[in-house]
Amino acid sequence: MNFIHNYIYYIGAFGLVFIGIYIILVKRNLIKVIIGLSILDTGINLFLISIGYISKGTAPIFSKIDMENAPMVDPVPQALVLTAIVIGVAVLALALSLAIRLYHHYGTLNLRKIKEQRW
Amino acid sequence: MVNPVLLIAVPLGLSFTIPLFGLISRKIEKYVPVVALIFNLVISSILIPEVIKQPINVFIGGFQPPFCINLVVGPVGILFSALIALVGLLASIYALDYIREGAKQLYHMLYLLLLTGATGVVLTGDIFNLFVFFEILCISSYALVAYLGDKAGIESAVKYLIQGAMGSSLMLIGIGLLYGLFGTLNMADIASNIDTVSSISIFVPMVLLITGLGVEAAIFPLNAWLPDAHSSAPSSISAILSGIAIKVGIYAVARVVFTIFGASSILQFLAILGLLTLLIGEVSAFCQSNIKRLLAYSSIGQIGLVVFALGMGISYGVVGGLFQLISHALSKALLFFAVGYMIYRSGSMDISKLEGMGKQMPLTSFAFTIGAFSLVGLPPFIGFPSKFLIIRAALSKQELLFTILVAFVLLGTVIEGAYFFRVVQVLYFKGNHTDLQREEAPIPALIPIVILMVLIVAIGVYPKSLTRMLNSASSELLNRVAYIRSVLR
Repeated sequence: MNFIHNYIYYIGAFGLVFIGIYIILVKRNLIKVIIGLSILDTGINLFLISIGYISKGTAPIFSKIDMENAPMVDPVPQALVLTAIVIGVAVLALALSLAIRLYHHYGTLNLRKIKEQRW
Repeated sequence: MVNPVLLIAVPLGLSFTIPLFGLISRKIEKYVPVVALIFNLVISSILIPEVIKQPINVFIGGFQPPFCINLVVGPVGILFSALIALVGLLASIYALDYIREGAKQLYHMLYLLLLTGATGVVLTGDIFNLFVFFEILCISSYALVAYLGDKAGIESAVKYLIQGAMGSSLMLIGIGLLYGLFGTLNMADIASNIDTVSSISIFVPMVLLITGLGVEAAIFPLNAWLPDAHSSAPSSISAILSGIAIKVGIYAVARVVFTIFGASSILQFLAILGLLTLLIGEVSAFCQSNIKRLLAYSSIGQIGLVVFALGMGISYGVVGGLFQLISHALSKALLFFAVGYMIYRSGSMDISKLEGMGKQMPLTSFAFTIGAFSLVGLPPFIGFPSKFLIIRAALSKQELLFTILVAFVLLGTVIEGAYFFRVVQVLYFKGNHTDLQREEAPIPALIPIVILMVLIVAIGVYPKSLTRMLNSASSELLNRVAYIRSVLR
């Protein structure tokens, strides 16, 4: 039980990562694949945040002079996640707009039926 | 001294002002990338002699490393940034006339962003920063592959996007694990502490990083997107993707393997993987009837050769690999430029439709021939010294494994010769189409073609002009202690 209690964030994060990878590899519908990419991104963001997380830690802001010596969370992963979220949204937007164009051309989003280009 | 930050800041700033220039006049917006890249080329060439003496470090925000994001302008970085600026400049001159339809303003913007991302990757000294610049490069290239908006372009862009996004996600997990282990993102700082943790816990982030970067570098099991993307993009973009984008991926893999992890045990595996990439690329290229797909597969083969050379892990081999990188960037850009107008004039990508081009478009066909001969490795073109160096390095290792591998490399070169000579034969000696009249390519396309031809022959005749540069670049890659010292002091 103790193990799960200590590593619950990592277990959750990698659970999301593997769910995302599974969806990308198995699903045939392009929209579902894009949803998989999004879940994968969320898992990674959660993982990055949990690297810097300390139980009962506060935000690392020195605003009060008489602040007590409380543990603080690491701010660097939070900055990384902020950047990663922005990049993830950009990729998602591009992917969805490409999906619209793909639908215009082929009339379907089934990736098994879209195979004009091949080895 | 010129501040190397300008190499990233100027193209980045100019790319977002292109819509403003477009408000003044729609005619000047296409000259903005040309101006920005001339600037980059000039600054890079000014910095080269300084950097060879002493690598330049730029700290951002006034903190010392490892607490800041820093740029490390070493010989490798400046070599790549000069190459990016050169090929990028030539492709932007080519695009002046070649890009006629579609959202031209967005094309020039994304094009400049792509090159900004590439320059950022090769200059940065911070691994998360490397990821961010990599994403700038990748996202703009996804969009540019789909630029024409036709069936093939959109389909290849979707494939490229899904695989690329997977790759960068894996890379981000690797970066997260590294941060968890070392509490720092500075590459030199990670490298200096890498021996303090067990090799098992290093292994997972290393594999994740190599896999993630390997997607962009098109190393064998990860290169399914490349032939589609390179053949469906506009030719000016194909030239950049083949000449620059894959090279940046290779740079990042080399930086991770050599500098950050100092992993000499994985090098033999990389060499074998490179050889597989080479053989698969060349054999698939041999079977193609579509000229752009043929060139794309040939890019896979050449990249395999570079990975093989870097995988030798000795100074001769790395010099040969970097030389091969430059030679491939110049030759493949020339081939795509030439093929772009041949396809435009003949209206088809089929090789058999190019019959008689030697008479109708003599200069373009001649350029294609030079590029093809250079890639095959005939003297006096640039491909000869680079392949010669790689083979000499492999033999100088005096290991049975590498002697056998070199035999396969030569086999790959023979296959390469076979399919390139077949195309050249179609251009000059097949068919009898005197009735067809096709114009020669216009002047803005001929300028970069002629410059590239001159460069390919000049460096091929006098390869020593690059030796000093390449020697210091290979010693930067192989000597990680010097790299760490130069950053952390």
